[in-house]
Amino acid sequence: MTAPVIIAVPAKGRLQENAEGYFARAGLKLIKPRGARDYRGTIAGMDGVEIAYLSASEITAQLAQGAAHLGVTGEDLVREMIPDADARVILLEGLGFGYANVVVAVPQAWIDVRSMSDLDDVATAFRLKHNRKMRVATKYVNLTRGFFGQHGIGDYRIVESLGATEGAPAAGTAELIVDITTTGNTLTANALKVIEDGVMLRSQANLVAARGADWKNGTLDTARRILDRLASQARAQAFREMRTRFKGCDDALLAVARETFGIVTPFGGPTSSGMLTLHCPPDQVFALADFLRGKGADAISVSDIDYVFTQDNPLFERLKTGVQL
Amino acid sequence: MTNPPTVTVPEPYAETLVSARNLVSTYEAAGYSRAHPAILQPAEPFLDLSGEDIRARMFLTAGRAGEELCLRPDFTIPVSRDYLHSPAAGRPQGYCYLGPVFRDRGTLPGEFLQAGIESFGRTDKAAADAETLALGLAATAHFGRNAPSIMTGDVALFTALVSALDLAPAWKRRLIKDFNRKASLAQDLERLTLHAPNGKADYQGVLAALAGSDPKAARALVTDLLSIAGISAVGGRSVGEIADRFLEQSTLGAAAALPRETHDLVVRFLNISGTLDDAATAMRRLAAEGGLSLDAALDHFEARSAEFRKRNIDARRVAFSCAFGRGMDYYTGFVFELRDGGSDEPLVAGGRYDDLLTRLGSPSPIPAVGFSVWIERLSDSIAGGAS
Repeated sequence: MTAPVIIAVPAKGRLQENAEGYFARAGLKLIKPRGARDYRGTIAGMDGVEIAYLSASEITAQLAQGAAHLGVTGEDLVREMIPDADARVILLEGLGFGYANVVVAVPQAWIDVRSMSDLDDVATAFRLKHNRKMRVATKYVNLTRGFFGQHGIGDYRIVESLGATEGAPAAGTAELIVDITTTGNTLTANALKVIEDGVMLRSQANLVAARGADWKNGTLDTARRILDRLASQARAQAFREMRTRFKGCDDALLAVARETFGIVTPFGGPTSSGMLTLHCPPDQVFALADFLRGKGADAISVSDIDYVFTQDNPLFERLKTGVQL
Repeated sequence: MTNPPTVTVPEPYAETLVSARNLVSTYEAAGYSRAHPAILQPAEPFLDLSGEDIRARMFLTAGRAGEELCLRPDFTIPVSRDYLHSPAAGRPQGYCYLGPVFRDRGTLPGEFLQAGIESFGRTDKAAADAETLALGLAATAHFGRNAPSIMTGDVALFTALVSALDLAPAWKRRLIKDFNRKASLAQDLERLTLHAPNGKADYQGVLAALAGSDPKAARALVTDLLSIAGISAVGGRSVGEIADRFLEQSTLGAAAALPRETHDLVVRFLNISGTLDDAATAMRRLAAEGGLSLDAALDHFEARSAEFRKRNIDARRVAFSCAFGRGMDYYTGFVFELRDGGSDEPLVAGGRYDDLLTRLGSPSPIPAVGFSVWIERLSDSIAGGAS
């Protein structure tokens, strides 16, 4: 009997759209057979998969417990919520959305504080002067403790804050904060600045696998099929296909192109008639086209690629070596 | 009607509890009253005094009004708080205790037994330290460990050394704080010596200019600038505080390169270890060579060694190291650990914490010294010895 692979995805907002887009680009359309308000779904045309729509923190908790096999969640939550995270989950791939940095921010008026070692000194001086410890408002209790510990800072107290953290110093409930920021605008608007070496984590949404989930009864094979599509799509996204044919094309020229433009030649060197298919990173397409014409190419066609299936599958390899069987 | 068969459920620590109770009875006989602090405690004092690191190891819960509560992770703070709230507060009083404490220790049980004593208000500190060590040794002996290794240190000696050095106040503050965090202590010492830049490039010029000017005028300038920006108290620090420390940067920056010989002196000091007498001789020599006045701290050190002899503690068995600390900020003087030969984990550990009661709200300082006994480790060693 085949057990379903449970994939936990965000239940609302931009994260949900981005996650659905990520799967859809790989031809994995998430559907809710019982209507849009349902919190369970499937993948169109694929058996043995169950989609669980949950909040990002629930997704993280489910992955930690092994109640979901795969999930889309932020690295910040993984590192914060799961003790010894790398022993419990595998971060398979950064997904290129949900970017956020977890940072230490202090009032801009603290002109004497630029580095974490400044903060360390201020913390000690603060305790000696005020006979209480400096308060740090944050929802990242564990990340903060780890990071402050690394910097040898002991004279601080954490005040848990589950919303509008950046307002805490102005409200007088904390002296400084640890929070996520994407542009820094919210911090600036609240007269806060990020400490120079105070970026704890550069986070983004990740495809995460639970080491402790049940990977028997065919689930690993179902996961392989899903990851195969995701990997082939990810590889396709990373390249444009360029086709050309010209006499001067030889191995030496390809070696130069590999070195200069980061191309790959999935089907080997030029055919006997000089026909060549290249995969080129999108931002190098124009430079490469110039280069090839300079070497004698008359015409070059460039097209988007939908999938690149290869023998190796890095996502699945990472999963297979990481899970307990 | 017949009675159902009697089923006895063993008390979790039944075997060792009897022995532990006997130990605590000997402490009661020695004049220490039995303390019974509550198991459920407010979390605040532990987080405040032991640091946020302990949060990861505490079992926390919350009251209905949202106040943070915890299962006591140790006895020192609960016994100290109860003493402060008792009529005996401020007067000399010793307590002994026995009961479970609660810490998340990964694979080990989160609940385990500790015994110990806390002695408050004694001004004959050297004698009180010696009595504490003697009662700690009584605990190991009670469980059949007659020759544990005795490791001792004295935080006050390092504090005295740093105070005697010709250093900017900010650096003294840092070094004393770093004593319990050896990694950053080494780092700070290097930084002092090498004078590595502290990532302050933006204000370096301003700071250098201010360093040479009249301190009062400089302070007024910075305070004014902050006031013009419409800043008063920000994040709990006043404008004056910010200005003071901003100007302190100029002392830290321009004049902070620690002479190599001072650096070497501190490193040499931290490397002093051996018997009590040898260490005292080495410290006196170092103080004389460096032209430092450590007399008060060293006199106290030697007075304590004399008290050890009065208590028949074999001085040759007491190892001392200037770098030895217990990693806890609240110790202020003598610290010790009793261990089995090769083990890293103490069977008995404690020390002097003269500031703790002030930080718990005592209006005047109350000297305090005490230790904890890891009953399970001692009973393990009994079991190990028996099998």
